[in-house]
Parts: sequence; structure tokens; C-alpha cells
Amino acid sequence: MSPLFVFQLRRVARNRQFLFFTVLLPALFTVFFTQVFAGTPGGVSPEQATATMVAMMSYGAIGAALGATVRPSFDRASGWLRQLRVTPVPQTSVVAVDVAVGMLLTLPPLAVVALTGRFAGGVRLAPGEWAGLVGVLWLGSAVFVALGLLLGWALEEKAAGGAIGIVGTVLAALGGLWVPVELFPSGLRAVAHGLPSYWYAETGRAAAGGALPPAPAIAALVGFAAVFGGLAVLVARRRPLTAVAG
Amino acid sequence: MPPDAVALTDLTVRHGDVLAVDGLDLHVRRGETVALLGPNGAGKSTTVSAVLGLLRPDAGTVRVLGRAPADAVRAGCVGAMLQHGGLPGEARVGEVLHLVRCSYPDPWPLEDLVATTGIGGLLGRDVDALSGGQRQRVLLALALAGQPPLLLLDEPTSAMDVEGRRAFWTTMRDLAAFGTTVVFATHHLEEADAVADRVVVMAGGRVVADGPSAAVRSAVAGRTVRFSAPDGAAFDRVPGVTGATRLGGTVALATTDVEATLRALLADGVALTDLEVRGASLEDAVLSLVGGVR
Repeated sequence: MSPLFVFQLRRVARNRQFLFFTVLLPALFTVFFTQVFAGTPGGVSPEQATATMVAMMSYGAIGAALGATVRPSFDRASGWLRQLRVTPVPQTSVVAVDVAVGMLLTLPPLAVVALTGRFAGGVRLAPGEWAGLVGVLWLGSAVFVALGLLLGWALEEKAAGGAIGIVGTVLAALGGLWVPVELFPSGLRAVAHGLPSYWYAETGRAAAGGALPPAPAIAALVGFAAVFGGLAVLVARRRPLTAVAG
Repeated sequence: MPPDAVALTDLTVRHGDVLAVDGLDLHVRRGETVALLGPNGAGKSTTVSAVLGLLRPDAGTVRVLGRAPADAVRAGCVGAMLQHGGLPGEARVGEVLHLVRCSYPDPWPLEDLVATTGIGGLLGRDVDALSGGQRQRVLLALALAGQPPLLLLDEPTSAMDVEGRRAFWTTMRDLAAFGTTVVFATHHLEEADAVADRVVVMAGGRVVADGPSAAVRSAVAGRTVRFSAPDGAAFDRVPGVTGATRLGGTVALATTDVEATLRALLADGVALTDLEVRGASLEDAVLSLVGGVR
């Protein structure tokens, strides 16, 4: 493992807020939604419990991907990225490590929420379905890693912190991660279908049912990843020139 | 013959409409200690940034130890303290130092590096908890971490107290004695004079004086004698005086020999009301040099 990778991972791991919002909070929500509503008339069906867990896995992974990758904006503001540029550490590995750290950090919320769903939420899946569920959500999180890097490179420190919160909330709320899309009015449902978070959770719901992700979901996620990634590269190319003054 | 440590040929850099560096030619031989001296806006930082490959020149070439700047940095040949460099948050000093040391092919042994830069008690400290002076010492340690043959320092002592400055320049002199090429930007004449064996004075993105520090010092070490004098009195011919300016009732004489000038004035019976003698500011000195060049 490269020293830079270890260094970056340790920095994020030290951030308690990050761990709370991306791992603990979605896990608590899972318990809350599966246990609290179990006492209400009608209870919680196994399908609803699974859907809740998948939504919370998606929510946690999106938060982790965005939170881990917005960091270039802070490191640019502190002057650290500039300092790093005058050491032998190559620029390409700085970017590669940011991507790798983002991808790695989506795993803890996926794993913790899945375990919570299994042992505290009463979700029962076959081993292959568990593996497929975590697998597709992990791969799909690349979309949000790309989005986080785009925001981290494009925005200044103060804007970036707020933007992550807003973008994460919008993606979760309007993408149907907090309230199922089926309960949305039709206009809002159309909005959900325009968001990557909806299609992301959709691949998870399919995998939890033992099915392959539907083609529209794959197409949407690949499309979003390409757009976010492409824009991120464009912004990063412009950055070295504009960062000179500061 | 080995290539120069730094070779700038016709370097031109624009920041938008502003011409920051204007056709600069500068060659630094290996082992030299060179001060880039000049007022704010002289183009010192831009020059340092170009040598480090942090910006792309609009014209001209930059070679660092015979390579392109980015290649020299990648090869671990360069250490730098930047004016706008910084340390990462949510990290400990020791971790940052370890990361940077690992990136160089031949890192400075940790104990020695820590002792030299005086950061012994700081390795376990959170970066965010450092004082200004401590940060500066850590940044110095990062610059020295790879024992690079070339050091570039952009106003390295700006956040240091007197004590810190003295220790810093002692370290620099030691490194220079061991053959490290040191190029530093400063707007303190005393620093340039005390440390560099060559001083390059910059103004308006150009070199206005370049030579051994003693020669540059004598060129810029003029004094200004000020006093109130009635209109009409002329002082151009007074011994030592190189220029006379008048602002309201006050006359300012630039002189290379304060004593001779004052003796002559007193001998002539001039009433030296509100007398004031001052060292020329760097701005004055640069102006006189620019005047001398043109």
C-alpha cells in the first residue's frame, strides 16, 4: 500500500463526524424503521424491511463517497496540495489515492448497515444475494466518488462543505432513500427518476431480490459516472493554472 | 561541466494583464547561495513558482539541474518552502513528515532532521494545533526531508520571530557549507546580506542588480538625510549627496556618506531643523538601482 494511501485513510478515519454520519446514522435509521414500525398495525413486511435496509445502505454509501472525496477542496485551501506538488509524490497518484480512498470508504456503511439489517432488522437473504447486494452497491458508488471529486475540485473550501450536505440530502430525499418513491406524487417521482441515487438504490433492490440490475439503472449509472468523471477531469485540468495566485 | 542548478532564459510570466516576470535571465550555479531581493510585486514568488514547475511560463525556458522543473521535483532533487504552502488538517506532524520522507529516494535520517529543524516535541502533535512559528519549522523539515541538492525558499522567515530567524539562517548556512544550492526570496536586505553569497535584486519582473552581496549592499546602502529648509536653497553639490528631493518645506538628500554630508552642511551654517537620518528603504534602493541601470 502506498504511504499516501495509508496517510489519507488515517486522516478520514480520524474524523468522527464522518464515521457518525456515514456508518452509524444509516445503521440507526435501519433499526428505527424496521423495529419501530414493526409495532404499528400491519407491521413491517420482509420486503419492506429489505427495502429499508437497501435504502439505508445506499444513503450511507453516498454520504461516505461524497464525504471522502470532497477533501481536495480543503487541502487546496490549506495549501497542502501545493506543498505536495513540490515533493516527488506524483500528481497522478494523488488523484488515484483519492479515488481509491473514496471507493474503500463506501464499504464500511454497506457492511455495517447490511449486518444491522440481518441481525437487528430481521432481513433474511441468501448468501449469494447478500454478496450481490453489497457488490452492486459498492461498484455503483463510483458514481458518487466521481461526483464528490468533481465538487471537491470545482468548489472552494467553504462552498464544498455545504454543497456536500445539500447534494447528499437532495440525492437521499428526492431519490427515495428516506421515503419510498412509491409514496411520491407523480411529479416528484419523475424527479427521482432523473437522479443517480434512485437508480443506485434500484440496482440494490434488484440484487436483494436475486436479480441482475435492470438495464435502465445500469445505463443511468454509467451515464452519470461518465458525466461526473468527465467534468471532474476538465475541472482538474484547469485547476493547476488558476491555483497559482493562491 | 554539470548543468546549472537553475537556468532561466527569457522567462516571461503574465498573471492576467499583469506582466509578473519580464524576460528574466538568471543562472544559478551549483553550490551557490542566492538571495532574490525585491519589494512586493517584484516577481520573486512568480520566479520561484516557475522554477518549481507550479506555473507554466508564457515564454522562455526553465531548467532545473538540467531537467524540466516537474521532472526535477519528481526525481527528488528539489526541496521548497512556499509562501502559500501549507499542512494538511486531521493529521499529525510525524505522519506528514513520514509521508514526505518516503517520497524521496534518499531521505534525511529522521533523528537528525528532527534535531536540525527543532521539531522534536512536535511529531505527535496535531497539525491544527501548531503555532505559526512551529508550522514554519515543520514546513522547513518537509523541504529538507529528502536532502535535496537544491532548496527554494519563498520568504521562509515571514512568520518567524527573531530567535527563529537566527536559527533558521544558521541551518541554511550549514547546508550551504555542505554544498546545497540555496535560492531564497526575501524583502529583507539584512537577510540577503547575512546569508547569500550572491544577491539578485528584482523589480518589475526584471533583474536590476546582480552580484556579490557586498557590492549590492554598497549600491543600496545609502542613507537619507532630511531636514526643514527654506525654498530656493540648493543642496545638489554637498559632498556625498547623490540626489535631492523637496516635499513642501522638507528637503530629502540621498547620500552615500552621511558624515561628509552633515559636516559640509554644518560648515555652511545650514540650520538643520527637524534633522532626520535614515537608512534607505529597499524600495528607495531599488529605485536608485533602476535609475542606475537605465
